[in-house]
Amino acid sequence: MKHRVVFTGAGLCTPMGRSVEEFWRNLLAGRSGIGRISLFDASSFPVRIGGEVKHLNPEELPGTFPEAGSERDRKIWLGLDAAASALADSRLPYDDYQNALLFVGVSLETFFLEDVTPIVSAPNAARDFARQVLNQGSPCRLQTPLDRLTQILGDHYGLNYGRYTNCSACAAGAQVIGESFRRLRDGTAAVALVGATDSTLNPLALGGFSLLQILSTENDQPEKACRPFDGTRQGTVLAEGAAFVVMETLEHAQGRGARIYAEVLGYGSSLDAYRVTDPEPNGRGAALSMAKAVADAGLTPADIDCVNAHGTGTPKNDIAETRAIKQALGARAQAIPVTANKSMTGHMIATSGALEAIASAMSLHTGKVPPTINLATPDPQCDLDYVAGGCQDFAGRTVLSNSFGFGGQNASLVLGRFDL
Amino acid sequence: MRANVVITGIGMVTPLGNNPPEVLRDIERGRSAAGPPTGFDATPFSCPNCAEVRDFQPLQYMSESKMIRLMNRDAQLAVAAAHLALADAAVKPGGAYPPEAIALFGATGMAGLPLREVMPLIKASAGIDGEFDAGRFGRAGLRAVSPLLSFKILSNMPLCFVSICENIQGPNSIYTPWEGQGAQAVEAAIRSLESGVAQCALAGGCDVKTHELAFLSLEQHGLFASWQQSGAGMVPGEGAVFLVLETADRAAARGARMYAQLSRFSFRTHGQGAGRADTYVKLIEALELPREAMGAMVKADNGDVQAGEDERQALSSLRFTAPSVISPKKQMGDLFAAAAALQIGLAALLVEKNGQRVLANCFGHGSEQAAFVLETP
Repeated sequence: MKHRVVFTGAGLCTPMGRSVEEFWRNLLAGRSGIGRISLFDASSFPVRIGGEVKHLNPEELPGTFPEAGSERDRKIWLGLDAAASALADSRLPYDDYQNALLFVGVSLETFFLEDVTPIVSAPNAARDFARQVLNQGSPCRLQTPLDRLTQILGDHYGLNYGRYTNCSACAAGAQVIGESFRRLRDGTAAVALVGATDSTLNPLALGGFSLLQILSTENDQPEKACRPFDGTRQGTVLAEGAAFVVMETLEHAQGRGARIYAEVLGYGSSLDAYRVTDPEPNGRGAALSMAKAVADAGLTPADIDCVNAHGTGTPKNDIAETRAIKQALGARAQAIPVTANKSMTGHMIATSGALEAIASAMSLHTGKVPPTINLATPDPQCDLDYVAGGCQDFAGRTVLSNSFGFGGQNASLVLGRFDL
Repeated sequence: MRANVVITGIGMVTPLGNNPPEVLRDIERGRSAAGPPTGFDATPFSCPNCAEVRDFQPLQYMSESKMIRLMNRDAQLAVAAAHLALADAAVKPGGAYPPEAIALFGATGMAGLPLREVMPLIKASAGIDGEFDAGRFGRAGLRAVSPLLSFKILSNMPLCFVSICENIQGPNSIYTPWEGQGAQAVEAAIRSLESGVAQCALAGGCDVKTHELAFLSLEQHGLFASWQQSGAGMVPGEGAVFLVLETADRAAARGARMYAQLSRFSFRTHGQGAGRADTYVKLIEALELPREAMGAMVKADNGDVQAGEDERQALSSLRFTAPSVISPKKQMGDLFAAAAALQIGLAALLVEKNGQRVLANCFGHGSEQAAFVLETP
């Protein structure tokens, strides 16, 4: 028996708001969350802009999460904040926690260079490095395992029905929703806390991505730097944030009278098998992911009413994605809105798929499609309706949400307006 | 959970070699691959040894030599093991199965970044006072490293390289960073096959814990505590193991060699405050093992004194016995994210060799614990 699966809670911690309502209001209004980086001195970096979460006070967290008292990795703070909000929003009874799956998406580890630099720069560093690091004791932990947030959330809330940490880069946020959807649909569990977190606004991550030359260097106009599908786009903009949802089988949600944002209808994933540096130029892998998601939902391309695009603002992604949408949806591609949230949110890497799934759910829940801002110059190779110029009313019943990762991992979700 | 999926290919690159039957034979004969690390001085650490893959030549397994410089060692090992598994199964994407019907589920460990690669960056970022200076990092540090550094830090890259080198385009997911996540990759493969999402699946993992940064992390996270307390403990290893999985019907239809059927599996989250031995008992009980005796067992024992005692207690309380028992981690090191695929692969070889049912314990660090039962198809 296949169960229907729905979103019953959502929590966000983003540059554009720390509640779904605030985030959604800003997204519809076309307000950018991108600004100059203040988390560290980025003045000598080629990229000095990003989407930072403001007013996140980590001092508050240990009160709620004593287990996180010693954590310094921002993505853990962001994830705790968003996950707690999602659970609160869902009003899920505490008794259900022990039977809930936990899926968390993350991307790369945070290295605290400030801890090791004094050691490395000391005389005889190469010979004594390990000894000196170990002698420093616990404050100088070089690596935090990527499942640390999963562990804290699982232990804190008693989520002991299976914990998964997915590291599929920019596809992680969509994959965790897709994988938990499949497990709820087949009856493995009835409830899941699912989401992703990331913070790449630190020297090593920002520097590393800068070297790949995929980031916009338009530092003087941060809010205009990310221009998905625009003819003058130069690259994407990194951001930090976390997004979590509570997912339930419909029976479980209705049994407790839960509010339902949207229904998850289908999921597909694929691999480009092309290059780690570039998307497959014709969008073959991305189209496959979309087609699988549509088929998994039991729909046809004609049933898709909107696309929430991966839309990074890099020259190569946006052309490949446009081609992929056309391949997957055929003539329908020209008839429906295609929106790119990253024009305002920036690219939250692992988080982006979960965040955009929530935005897609909100489109279905509120009847609005957010705009793609900064789209003023047409690109002849990007010729779909990208919702330029302001949000649109939306009476559609389905949204296809895309996430494509570095290395060629693709994931697509089909969400539907909830009807009995 | 019951399953009807068979293993038709095994690819291993391990400290005891890359020929699966020979690896099993060496384990049964008690050969050890542990020794002092060759790349750094281990004297500051509680653990003196590791288990390294020797004489590894990545060019044997991939056609594009320039791709190798994009890869860290984890990725090189993963590509090699995946290639060997597919070759062993006689599965060539585009042959029996289209590339988009072959799934790839894998596990990777903590970022395998050798310190020597980031040392120049860190040194160039030190201010006059020796402290980290973000300004210097931006001006000089970034110039001191390869632009390809990110590809060596991103945890999904090893599997992406596998997909590129082998042209696998199907459903996929990557888990991290412990032994249990490697078992989750196998679980995901089983699910994808049984639900029809994929026709064939490559599942496994890769990990490298034989460099100085890994030793530092393991020491800092208390994974060498057993060495401090008892003078014995877990030995970190490196390697990659991949398995080719198919439904029995599909494997039979193409005349594939079937090592073993993955007939039952069980997962359990080890929550805070619970006893590990209790968790293992519940895990094995959930397998609902048949009355007939188990022919062999692949233990999870990695040399850590407490972990070994927990497993022994659990098996003892269940009165579980098997005439043949191997503990591969004690001889070839703990391969962490690759360990589950190794345990299951060795169990499959035992099934093929002896024709008896085998229990593979995939216990490890972190919260997720698993066990699999394999038998003759």
